[in-house]
Amino acid sequence: MEDVSAHAGDEERELARLMVAYQGGELAAFEAIYAALAPALHGYLLALSRDGSVAQDLVQDTFFEMHRSRRTYLPPLPVRPWAFGIARNVHRRHRRAAARRARHEDAGVDVSSDRRRPAAPPGLQAHDIEDAVRRLPPSRREAWRLHHVHGFSFAEIARLLQIQLSAAKLRSSRAMTTLRALLGAGRRTRP
Amino acid sequence: MTESPLPAVLLEAVRRDLRPVRPLAPPWRRALAVAPLAVLLLMGQPLLWQWRSNLDALGGPVSWGLSVLQSAAGLALIGAALREAVPGRRLPGAALLLALGGGLALVLGVTLFTAHVLPTVMPPGVAWRFWWECYGMAVLAGLPAMAVAAALSARLLAGRPAVAGALYGLGAGLMTDAGVRLFCWVTEPAHVIAAHGGAVLTFAALGAAASAVLERMKA
Repeated sequence: MEDVSAHAGDEERELARLMVAYQGGELAAFEAIYAALAPALHGYLLALSRDGSVAQDLVQDTFFEMHRSRRTYLPPLPVRPWAFGIARNVHRRHRRAAARRARHEDAGVDVSSDRRRPAAPPGLQAHDIEDAVRRLPPSRREAWRLHHVHGFSFAEIARLLQIQLSAAKLRSSRAMTTLRALLGAGRRTRP
Repeated sequence: MTESPLPAVLLEAVRRDLRPVRPLAPPWRRALAVAPLAVLLLMGQPLLWQWRSNLDALGGPVSWGLSVLQSAAGLALIGAALREAVPGRRLPGAALLLALGGGLALVLGVTLFTAHVLPTVMPPGVAWRFWWECYGMAVLAGLPAMAVAAALSARLLAGRPAVAGALYGLGAGLMTDAGVRLFCWVTEPAHVIAAHGGAVLTFAALGAAASAVLERMKA
């Protein structure tokens, strides 16, 4: 038992050291933190969301948020409670956004008319859309997903991905154009 | 070299914004940013409106002493809010109860003790006007302090934004009341609890609401 707690203590100290290096601008430290925390965060978010793909997305969002908020980690405090606190926040935001979408859909309102969310064409299945999204180029898929799935504003996406506001809009818009084309083409091939 | 397990987009986003950052100062030190406003609220309100007419009769420890105590407690509550707002640093239940309950108990205790030391009677026909003057002035005067505390807290990622907001709102309320009680000569508990205590509670509620709204706006 003592060995276990001593090991955990060593691990925490190492994570704290890595966090300080990450705050100092070391990419390798961030990669090591990701490798150390991502599996545990995935398990935690999976338990909260009960959906593997959602949990995977939320892990990524958690690391985005950790990156944005890395100043709020106060060394030499333990890193795990800080990271899991952020994960809990990210999950709460996701749940709130999902509830908002569900309310709007129940009310028969387009989810976000200002965000030009596409209505699914009749005859399309959920997996058609998922396949099409997977075929998008990663940078466009990310901008599209952050905006249309997670409800981030373009300004937030620009900050998150460190790109210009116009680039965030362009990536999302081009992803949408590609999706329309892919889904349109897919529909034509179906009987 | 092995392939990075990170998603490419995440790695790219981090790589592009990997400037060194300095960790935030501890919560108590960040709370000190509000200290100048605490002094301004303590001294500025009675200087602007007028010192209470029975200040000398009340004596230094009961007038200045308790007001300084209230100001210090307000700053401590803002420090607690800034700790609560850091991910993974939420206050334990007992500490939270102590902070919120202690803040309210302090206002009540100071009110009752001041009334005991120097009882005064509200003149007839002015109760409503006096209530409005003390309540309205306190709320107006304390808003900047609460806005600064809200801005400090909003930079963090509170797991319980309403709790963090209630803490800094209560803190701003205590700091404001510290000055108001050096202006208002009435010690009758009914007035002090309704007007001064009401303003303190309003700040706590405003803080909780503002913090929750700010958090939603970030989401």
